[in-house]
Amino acid sequence: MQKKIVTLAVGAALALAATGAFADQAGPNDVRLGVYLVHYDAKADDISGPYVPPGLNAHVNDVQTLYIAYVRSLSPHFDVEVAFGYPPLTKSEGRGPATVGSVPYNGQVISTVRWVAPTLLLEYVFGAPSSRLRPYVGVGVNYTKFVNRRSTPAGNAASGGPTSISLPASVGPAATAGLSYEITDRWHVYASYSVAQVNSKLEANTAGIIRTSEIHFWPNTLVISAGYSF
Amino acid sequence: MLRKIGVLGVAVAALGLAACGGTNSPTAKVATSNQRGILVDNPPLRIASVNASDFAAQLGATASGPQLLQLAGTPACGVDFYYFKYWTVGPDNSAQEASGALMVPTGSAAPCTGPRPIVLYAHGTTTDSAYNIANISDTTNSANSESALIAAVFAAQGYIVVAPNYLGYDISTLGYHPYLDGAANAADMMDALTAARTALLSSFTPNTSDSGKLYVTGYSEGGYVAMATVKAMQAAGETVTASAPSSGPYALEAFGDAIFFGQVNIGSTVFSPLTSTSYQKAYGNVYSQTSDLYSSTYASGIDTLLPSATSLAGLFQSGKLPQTALFDSTTPTSSTGNTALDAQANLLLAVPASPLYTASQAALFDSGFGNPYLVSNTYRVGYVDDALINADQAEMAILNHRMLTSADVGLAATSMLGLRKDLALNDMRSGGWFPMEPMLMCGADQDPTVFFQNAQIMAALWAPYVQGGLVSVLDLNGAPQAGNPFAPLQVALQQEEAQLLAANGATAVASFHATEAPFCLVAARGFFAQVP
Repeated sequence: MQKKIVTLAVGAALALAATGAFADQAGPNDVRLGVYLVHYDAKADDISGPYVPPGLNAHVNDVQTLYIAYVRSLSPHFDVEVAFGYPPLTKSEGRGPATVGSVPYNGQVISTVRWVAPTLLLEYVFGAPSSRLRPYVGVGVNYTKFVNRRSTPAGNAASGGPTSISLPASVGPAATAGLSYEITDRWHVYASYSVAQVNSKLEANTAGIIRTSEIHFWPNTLVISAGYSF
Repeated sequence: MLRKIGVLGVAVAALGLAACGGTNSPTAKVATSNQRGILVDNPPLRIASVNASDFAAQLGATASGPQLLQLAGTPACGVDFYYFKYWTVGPDNSAQEASGALMVPTGSAAPCTGPRPIVLYAHGTTTDSAYNIANISDTTNSANSESALIAAVFAAQGYIVVAPNYLGYDISTLGYHPYLDGAANAADMMDALTAARTALLSSFTPNTSDSGKLYVTGYSEGGYVAMATVKAMQAAGETVTASAPSSGPYALEAFGDAIFFGQVNIGSTVFSPLTSTSYQKAYGNVYSQTSDLYSSTYASGIDTLLPSATSLAGLFQSGKLPQTALFDSTTPTSSTGNTALDAQANLLLAVPASPLYTASQAALFDSGFGNPYLVSNTYRVGYVDDALINADQAEMAILNHRMLTSADVGLAATSMLGLRKDLALNDMRSGGWFPMEPMLMCGADQDPTVFFQNAQIMAALWAPYVQGGLVSVLDLNGAPQAGNPFAPLQVALQQEEAQLLAANGATAVASFHATEAPFCLVAARGFFAQVP
């Protein structure tokens, strides 16, 4: 799946590049397409609630996904970026005892969730507009909504039955630092590193029994992208 | 350029929609009906799942586990522990939500899968309002040891176990427990069974099913509840394959009389408020105010005291209940004006002593007398007078050292006291019934908490069925007979009680009721195996 996303991103970037070859002159708009490499750096409280043995926790696996952004140049040094990732399927693995009772726990994929996480960033771009290589930094706000929340069969076995998961949306600060490199007047490639803060409270409902965990993510993402200005 | 932005916008929007249209995995369905026997959450919560070797290891690691394993046998099956909620009815016929445990044997061994018999289990008296027999995962829950016990004896040996927590406990909002209310207890048990059968269909082990064999058992209060359940199920035309009520207060009127006559049982200060509250709520005839029955020291609030979130030790410590002093050590006297009656009453009202009782009996009963004390003197005198005027035949026979015969164990024809009427109504002798399928009444003659006379009275009443082999009585304190399949259990219990006496002196007797429990449950299992 992740390979597919990378292939899709590269393919889409090349397609955009091909169309760009015939365009006229660069404008203040820039669309970027690339790959998001996300490391979630999640810290969760141990799961608490009725009939939960102590020491049950979860780890959120890293993902890669499609990066897509729209950037509007406000001035020679200021840009506004709206960045999206194709909602990645993120897997949580149990961390804690090898088994709960005799049910495997540690290392089991217990839940999956997709993230819709648009980020709005105000960026300051260093160097003269004519420079080929321009570093930039930015700050902004991240909104994260969790969709397609699923407890896996292993998760259901550990929880004790079919389980629904609630993860409220989060709004938190985001920051980025990156480099842009001009290939042509219209084409640039970018590399950036971003962090955001995402806080949510997981509530798992199994037969009316609610278990909770406060989860704090600091998703740090490496983005490699190509952008086309128009 | 505008067209390009438009295309891009549509693409981004489509991406967003595709993502936001997602779903959440479902949890259990919640019943919309509150009819009797309806399972609330389907499927129910599995609290724990342990395989046979892990269960053996976990039991082996506890203080009493190795002995239990020796008695119950090494687990042949793993056990899935489910917590289920169901709808039942209170004594006033109101819809009530209650909870219980479903234990399902697991594993591929022959006795652990496929069609399996059900053991419907009734637990013993508890004062803990949070009692949850499904909660095997929490060793601090007061139900934990009973949960492990029935799992080891029954579920780990291939029986599906259904064990309600009863109304008044865990999630129940009834506000009291219908203690020794036979009809209410039976309704609770039967509704739990119906809901558990539904729950079984959606369990993690669809290959394990109800074989149609139903065994009913229970210990102490649960022994009574088990017998009441057999009675009610027979009346409803439902078949019980076999039953094994154990150490239960079946002959309630006679038992109540014995206690008021001074034969105070261990635990009486707890059993009394549970019983009076239950009957007052159900029939409203026990008292006008609690001080009619209880001494001024304890009358206030005693009707809402149990079950409680406070431990029994805490209730004793805070002076809510006396630990053992049911009656005043300065005993009252009867003054009906009937000289013969008063003389007899005063003999029974006195602190038990020789020659009426042996020294060891007197030592046991005398701990039920003190100051402060629970039951008001006026009430006690009234009860004793009533029990002499409107005598329970069985209790009179026992008092006069007569053999109990089926012709001599009847209930009192009438009574002047609400409490005695209620005891008679809920006495298992009432209703003119007998078990239609095999029943074993296990108990022990030395039990200081629920006297063995309860089983003896029922056995005398049902003498023709005892002779016919339909009803059996097992006295674990009885002399082991060669060839009796239960003789090894008798030997083992008697050895253990001897050890307890050697280690702790005469006070060890107080623990005998609890000590018998696993022996009776293993006897029940052996009995059920004989009635396939």
